[in-house]
Amino acid sequence: MSEDTPALSDIHYDDLIVGERMGPFAETVTPDLASRLAGPIGEPTPVEHAPPSVFPVLFLRALRRAMGGIPAGSILAKQELEFHAELPVESSVAITVWVGEKLVKRERPFVTIEFDIRTDDDAPVVTGRKIIVWPTGPGE
Amino acid sequence: MSMGISVTDRVTQDGIDAYAELSGDFNPLHVDPAAAAASEFGGIIAHGPIALHAFFRAATASLGGDALPPGSTVAVTYRAPTRPGDAITCELPDAFGEVEAECVNQAGVTVVSIRATLSG
Repeated sequence: MSEDTPALSDIHYDDLIVGERMGPFAETVTPDLASRLAGPIGEPTPVEHAPPSVFPVLFLRALRRAMGGIPAGSILAKQELEFHAELPVESSVAITVWVGEKLVKRERPFVTIEFDIRTDDDAPVVTGRKIIVWPTGPGE
Repeated sequence: MSMGISVTDRVTQDGIDAYAELSGDFNPLHVDPAAAAASEFGGIIAHGPIALHAFFRAATASLGGDALPPGSTVAVTYRAPTRPGDAITCELPDAFGEVEAECVNQAGVTVVSIRATLSG
C-alpha cells in the first residue's frame, strides 16, 4: 500500500457522523496482493481473479484512508459481504466508505461501517459492512 | 455437486504481521504483545478476516474458481479470538446454495460462524 507507516485512528464514537460518505479511494488488486490472499497463509498462489479474502483487506485499506484506520482496541464483531462481479487481477477499483449505524447494546458501543467497491466503470463489485465494537462510547 | 471439503490454516505471528502490512491495520491487539497482554484478551489476537480465510479457501476450492460467483453473500459472526499458533479448520459439506459453516480452532472452539449463499 502507498502509506506504509503504521497509523491508528483516534476517532471517538461521538465524532462519527452517520451517513457521511468518504472516498472514493482508488486501489488496485495487484498480482502480489491477490496471490498472497489466495492460498494457504504464507504460501502465495497465483490467481486470475481476486479471491474473496482480498475484499476485507480492501475494506481495511479504505478505512485507513477514510479515518486513519480502526481505533486501537476496536474489536470486529460481524462482517457481511455481497459479491456482485468477479474482479480480474490488476483491476483498479474505487471504494466508498460511510458509517451506517451507531448504537449501544448491552452497554457496548457498536459502529457499522459500510463499504461499496466499484470498478472504474462504476459497476458494483462487492458491497459489505463491518460491525465493530468501538473502544469509546457516547460521551467518552 | 461437491462432496465437501475441509481446509486448515495455521496462524502465525509472521502471518498476522504480514496481514497488518497488507491491510494497514496495525491495531495493537494484533501487533503489540505488551498492549495485547494488557487487554481483555490477554495476548495477541489475529485480525478477524484471518480466521475467515479457511472458509473462503474452502468455498473457492469447492466451487472450482478463484473468486466467489456473483450473487454470493457471506455473513460472518466472530465468536472467539484467533491467536498465533492456532490451526483454523473450516469444513464445507455442500458448496452451492445456502450454506452454514463454522471455523474452529485446534481445541474445537468455534471462532467464526458463517451463513452464506454461494451461487453456482
